[in-house]
Amino acid sequence: MSAESSTTVLSGLAAAPGCASGKAYVIRNAEDIMAVPAGAILVIRILHPHLAPLLPRVAGLVVEEGAILQHATTLARECSIPAVVGIRDARTLLHDGDFLKVDGYTGKVVAKHVA
Amino acid sequence: MSSPVSKFTQAEVTSAQPYRRQIVGLPLQRSLFAQTARAATTIGLPGLTSELDFPARLDENGDLFLDRSQVGALTEALLSWFTPETLELMHTKHATACAALVDASENGARSAASLDDAAARELSEDLADRTALVMVYGILSKFVPDVLLRALADARDVEPPPFPEKSAGSELTRDMLTLYQACCALDYEPQRLQHEWPHVSPEAFRLVSEFCNRQRGFGPLAWDSPGYEDPNYVVRLLHSAFHEVDAEEVRQRLSFARGPAVARSAEAPKRVAALRRVLALWLDFLERETWYVRRAFYVGMVPLLQQLAAGYRQEIPSFRISDLLFLDIGELAGGIADPVAIHARRHRYMENTEYLSLHGIDAHRLATMLESR
Repeated sequence: MSAESSTTVLSGLAAAPGCASGKAYVIRNAEDIMAVPAGAILVIRILHPHLAPLLPRVAGLVVEEGAILQHATTLARECSIPAVVGIRDARTLLHDGDFLKVDGYTGKVVAKHVA
Repeated sequence: MSSPVSKFTQAEVTSAQPYRRQIVGLPLQRSLFAQTARAATTIGLPGLTSELDFPARLDENGDLFLDRSQVGALTEALLSWFTPETLELMHTKHATACAALVDASENGARSAASLDDAAARELSEDLADRTALVMVYGILSKFVPDVLLRALADARDVEPPPFPEKSAGSELTRDMLTLYQACCALDYEPQRLQHEWPHVSPEAFRLVSEFCNRQRGFGPLAWDSPGYEDPNYVVRLLHSAFHEVDAEEVRQRLSFARGPAVARSAEAPKRVAALRRVLALWLDFLERETWYVRRAFYVGMVPLLQQLAAGYRQEIPSFRISDLLFLDIGELAGGIADPVAIHARRHRYMENTEYLSLHGIDAHRLATMLESR
């Protein structure tokens, strides 16, 4: 039996260059940071500096907060992790396990949702 | 508690969407937000001459509201105000506020144990004032860096923004990686460390404790949410960050991080150079704004609260040190503690399961966050 799937394209601001793909891992509360899968695309409201040690294990970043000049931009550039910021409601639109392609040059995020 | 921006009408408050929800829950920390509007009038920026000009307020639920029209007015005021001289003033006041808070935090830690109640209250109030001042810059950081970038664009500056060369976050990551490798060398892989903590070897215990002391201040904005001051938090995060990760690859990734474009100086027009210098400070501040506020509490305020708690216990035998977190700063400074009010506030706080879950606060957190380490 094949799972139903749909594809969504979201547009934000290109914050850190590069392209990455992987499964979404959505941070909704403080406890979620304690179980970030290696190679995941982190979906988060805002990336504070205290979460920086988690960055080397993730493949890409999708951030809800809109400004290009923010923590996530600085940290993602330093770790060479593709990042798109300013996708409002990303944590509502995306779900754990969705397959994401993050384009840190164009600000596009392609999400393949698996039902 | 009165609203720091009283020109908001009730209708505006209730109909507006919060900029951020439930960011701060403890009355003591919330009361510092109430001081920001007054503090903002002292930083010398155009369009911030009255408390009514400040665009942010925090409500009783800990929701942060930002008045977009006031942000727009401040943006326009700033854009027509920037000169090399005013930018230098802006830079100096900002850097001085941050340095003064660090000094006040250290002073609280150094002197708390030797102070009588009156002096401890005075120092607490001073620390709160300095924290509120840095919080003003924290609010302004939501839009001032973009205003500076716009001013640079208007001046036809095409260089990339002057991001920090080694950000606070990457320095923290390097230090945590070093801790991870040192613990592994002692045969404490993160999983074992987490499983056995705090019953680990004295050397492993020392390494983690020293890391916590060094990095105290990193963590969420809400004081009550666990952060790097807490060894339990650190050993769990150590596992989350480095489990199934090649440590050497991480180190190389951090080492090869590309540096930012540095501020041009000699050949750039004076105003552009000044704009870039100030923007560089703001971008660095973005990485440290929460650290300043959290460190002020854990380094400076906690020892003062410990000192003050003894006096309260003499008057109210059932008094717990965590009761102080349910006072506002005015009550703390004035020596006022109404057990009934404290109980009601604590009850309301503990009933807010959404807030507690969002911030990872368990039943013991209020007691453990005030322990001496």
